[in-house]
Amino acid sequence: MPFKRFAAAMLLLLALFLVGPWTPAPLLAQGVDVFLNVTGGGTRKLNIAIPDFTVVSGADVQGAGKVVASITGADLGFSGLFSVVSGTTAIPANDPGALQRAWTEFAATGAHAALHGLLSLRPDRLEGEMRLYDLTTPEHRLIATKKFAVPNSQGRRLAHKIADEVVLQFTGELGIADTKIAYVVGPRGAKEIVVADYDGASAVPVTRNGSINLTPVWSPDARSLAYTSYKQGYPDLYRAFPFERRPEQTLAAFVGINTAPAFSPDGKSIAMTLSKDGNPEVYVLSLATGSMRRLTRHAGIDTEPTWAPTGRQIAFISDRTGSPNLYVMDAEGTNVRQLTSGGFHTQPRWSPKGDSIAYTARQGGHNIWLVNVDGSNPRRLTSGGDNQGGTWAPNGRHLAFQSNRSGRWQIFAMLADGSAQTAIATGPAEATSPSWSPRLP
Amino acid sequence: MVTRGFFLVVTSLLVVAVVGSGCAKRPATTQAAAPAPTGTASTTPGSQQAQPGTQAQGPSQGSSMQPPAGTSPTPGTATATPPPRPAVKDFAAVPELQDVYFDFDKYDIRPADARTLDANAAYLKSNPNSLILIEGHCDERGTNEYNLALGERRAKSTMNYLVSQGVQANRITIISYGEERPACTDKSEACWAKNRRSHFLVKPR
Repeated sequence: MPFKRFAAAMLLLLALFLVGPWTPAPLLAQGVDVFLNVTGGGTRKLNIAIPDFTVVSGADVQGAGKVVASITGADLGFSGLFSVVSGTTAIPANDPGALQRAWTEFAATGAHAALHGLLSLRPDRLEGEMRLYDLTTPEHRLIATKKFAVPNSQGRRLAHKIADEVVLQFTGELGIADTKIAYVVGPRGAKEIVVADYDGASAVPVTRNGSINLTPVWSPDARSLAYTSYKQGYPDLYRAFPFERRPEQTLAAFVGINTAPAFSPDGKSIAMTLSKDGNPEVYVLSLATGSMRRLTRHAGIDTEPTWAPTGRQIAFISDRTGSPNLYVMDAEGTNVRQLTSGGFHTQPRWSPKGDSIAYTARQGGHNIWLVNVDGSNPRRLTSGGDNQGGTWAPNGRHLAFQSNRSGRWQIFAMLADGSAQTAIATGPAEATSPSWSPRLP
Repeated sequence: MVTRGFFLVVTSLLVVAVVGSGCAKRPATTQAAAPAPTGTASTTPGSQQAQPGTQAQGPSQGSSMQPPAGTSPTPGTATATPPPRPAVKDFAAVPELQDVYFDFDKYDIRPADARTLDANAAYLKSNPNSLILIEGHCDERGTNEYNLALGERRAKSTMNYLVSQGVQANRITIISYGEERPACTDKSEACWAKNRRSHFLVKPR
C-alpha cells in the first residue's frame, strides 16, 4: 500500500507540474458534466474521469450509480486537487474489454486517472467499491481498491467516503468530504442550530427551543457540539449530541455570560468565556472533574479562546489595548503575548496544521484574514460583502465562513489561499456561525 | 439521582459557607457570582458524564467539585447575599426608566447618559420593592461572540453607576444580548447608535 500511494503521489506531482490544463475532446464532452469550478490558487490539477458507478448487484431503480458518482465527483472538484469529468455512462459489470476501451478513450483526452465505482444495493445496506486506475501507464494500472458499506439511507456518505479515499491515495491524507458543518439559521432573535453535510446538503436541526442559539463548535470526536443558548433566559453553555439519543448537558450556567466554547484537542477540556467573576475572562473546564480554571486576569474583555492543535497554547481576543486584538498564551494562562495590534480583530481560529490563525478583521466591513502564529504575514482572504466567522476544515486546506455578499447571510467555503469561494448553504434562511467538524468517526 | 442529590447538598454547603464567612472582599458594586439556579440542572438528566456547569459554583481558580467538602471558595467571588438568577420573562419595561447609549466599541457612561442614569437611580430608590434587569446591547458591527462580551460590559458599567448612586446591588441582574436583539434594523449610524444601549426592566421583588 505505501508503494502504491507513493506511485499515486508521483502521478499527482507529474500532473501538477508537467501537464497543462485538460481540454476534453468534443466527442467525449457531449452529455458530460465538466467540473472546472475550482482554480485552486493556480496549481495544476489532476484530471480524473469518473463514469457513473456500475451497479453489480440489486436493481438501481433510483439511479444510485449516477447520483453517487456525481457526488463523489463534486467532492473531488471541491478539493481543489482535481479536474473531474463525470456523467459518462456506467461501464458494464465484469467486462474487462469495455473497461480498457473506456480508459483508453479517457487517456486520449488527457485524463491522468480514473475512478471506477461498483455498487451493491442490498436490502439492508449499500456497498460500494472504489477502484482507482493510473491512466498514464500503458496498461492503465490499478492503483488502489477499497470497499465501504453504509446504511441504505446514507448514499451521500458512501460517495463522500470514496472521494476521501481517492484524496488519500493521491495526497497521503484523507479528504474532508465525510465531514459536517454546523451553523445557525434564522434572523436575529430566533436562531436555531442545524447540522449539514460539508457541502450544505441534508441539513437537520440540532436545537428547536424557540430561543436564541449561537456559535456551535464541534468536539474533536465529531460527536458533540458546544453552544450558547438563551433557552433558560440567560446566555448559558450547553453540549448537544446531534447523532445520538442522548440528552444535552449544561456546561456552564453562571451569572453573566457563558460563551465562546472551544474544545481542547484531546477533548478533555473546554475553554470558554465567563463573566461570573465580574468581567469576561477565559476559563478552562475539565470535563472529567468539573473543575474550572481561570486563565486570564485583566480588566478588559478577554474572550474567544482557540487551542493550538498541540493543546499547549491558546489564542484569544482581548481589548486590553483599547480595541480587540489577537493574543496568545500558554494553556496554563501564562506567557501572554500580543499577536496583532491596531485592529478590530476577533474570531481567532487556530489552523489544524498549527502554522496560522484565521481571524476576522473589521475595516468598515469584516473580512477573513490569516496570520502566522508568530504574528507575521497577515493576509486578507475575502472581499465583497461582509465576511465573518472563519472555521477550518480538518485538513487545514479549506475554510468555511459566513458572507452576506449575496444580500443575505449564507455559508461559504474557500481554499485557505482565498480562492474558490463558493456558497455551500444556500437555503432561504439567514445562515451564520459555521463550524466545520473534524472527520466523522 | 444519587449523584445529583450529592451535588445539591454540596452546593448548599458551599452557599452556606460563602454566606457564613462573609468573605466579600470586592466592593459592593461587584455582581455576585452566584451558582446557577438548581432548576437548570433538570435539563440534563440521565447522563453518566459529568455535568460540571450545573454543579460548579463561584470559585474562580483551581477549584474542583470533587472532593468539594471543606473547599473554601476563593475570596471575592460572592457578595454576602448571592442572588439567584430571576426569570427573565417576569421583567417588564416601565416608562420611567430610560435607555442609555454608548459609543462604538465602548462601555463607559457618557455625561449625558449619566444624567439619565441619575434619574433612573432616583426612580429605583423610590421604588425599593422592585428588582431590576439591565440588558446590554450592541449594534451589528463587530462579531457576535465579542459583542456578547461588550454587551455584558455595558450592562455592568450601567449597573456600577446605579450602585454608585445608591441602588442596592442585590436588586440588579444583568444580561447581555450582544447584537442579537437590535432595537432598530436599518444599516445606518443613526440606527446603530440606538442599538448600542442598556435597557431597563423591572419586576416586583
